[in-house]
Amino acid sequence: MSSIIDDMASQEVPLDMTPMIDCVFLLMIFFVLVIDLSQKDLEDLILPKAVYVVADDEPPSVRPIINIGQDGRMVYRGNTRFDPEIHAESTAPEHLRNLLVEWKNTIVKNKSDLKIGSRTVTLVEDPVLIRADKWTEWHWVGVFMTSCSQPEAAFYKLELALSDQDKEAKLLRKQGR
Amino acid sequence: MARSHLKDVQEEAKLDLTPMIDCVFLLIIFFLCIEFKALEAKLPAYLPKDKGSQNDPAQPQEQLSIRIEVDQPGTKIPRKPLAPEVDKKGRKRTFALTGHTVKWDVGPTRFTDIERMRKELERIKSDPNSIVPDASKPGQTKLLPIVIEPQQGATYGDVASTVDVVKAVGFEEINFGGGRGPAPKR
Repeated sequence: MSSIIDDMASQEVPLDMTPMIDCVFLLMIFFVLVIDLSQKDLEDLILPKAVYVVADDEPPSVRPIINIGQDGRMVYRGNTRFDPEIHAESTAPEHLRNLLVEWKNTIVKNKSDLKIGSRTVTLVEDPVLIRADKWTEWHWVGVFMTSCSQPEAAFYKLELALSDQDKEAKLLRKQGR
Repeated sequence: MARSHLKDVQEEAKLDLTPMIDCVFLLIIFFLCIEFKALEAKLPAYLPKDKGSQNDPAQPQEQLSIRIEVDQPGTKIPRKPLAPEVDKKGRKRTFALTGHTVKWDVGPTRFTDIERMRKELERIKSDPNSIVPDASKPGQTKLLPIVIEPQQGATYGDVASTVDVVKAVGFEEINFGGGRGPAPKR
């Protein structure tokens, strides 16, 4: 009897690791793709389609990104920094100036001094990327640009974001329009 | 004996579907998530460096103006007709515009077709008169700067597609001008 138990105990129990490894891979791929930290700057907007310009494969290391929705809401890293439904438009320069000065003091690296008339303005040489919905009225982009060009901010290099595909056309096609 | 052999054959024919299901799941997850990673492109543009810094009138600079005017404002249609009017955060859902058209005034010439405007810009670029003195680098010349002036009702898409064409033709210096106009009605 004891010999049978000894035999059974000495037998190797084959443990199939494959399903566990599969599950681990599945979880890894899911989290890598979904929790992509580089995407936190990007709001879910439908951008206009680029016809000629090439994809931005190697974005610069320093580039603040502002997202402008159809309702004029300006969002930076998930935080709304100006909302026309809450703030009066006349207060936009104040709200946006704070954001731009924050960028100027903390994020951007390349600056240069320019003597204009009797005063010296510190220009920001790093670009700002503007992402807006295809149908966002240009008025709201203009509001942001006006703040950029103020001497306290002095961001003069801008980039407009486009998409390599027309997501809206795809969506409307799905709806049979 | 024959029955036992038959049993062996039946056991061998058992197909393990686990790896195939794993692969299918991998593919499903991949295609679900790939949408998040749509490639984006950028169009560089510039603002005037000296705005708000001095009271002296700016030196006149030779530049080509492209004015974007709304021809037909278009009709708003919901992007998601089956969804409620407002999203989870209580904000109105986004819309698309159908029948929205613009026209471009390149200098004195009006265009309603962006491809024709592109050809005109190519003609202007090849014109020797489009090489102008560079104010920032005395003694040097540069290609005529472009100033884009979107008018009331113009959208980001209108301006971005215009800048896309201007960059494709080869103009490097793109500025923005024109007033913002009143805020859009909600």
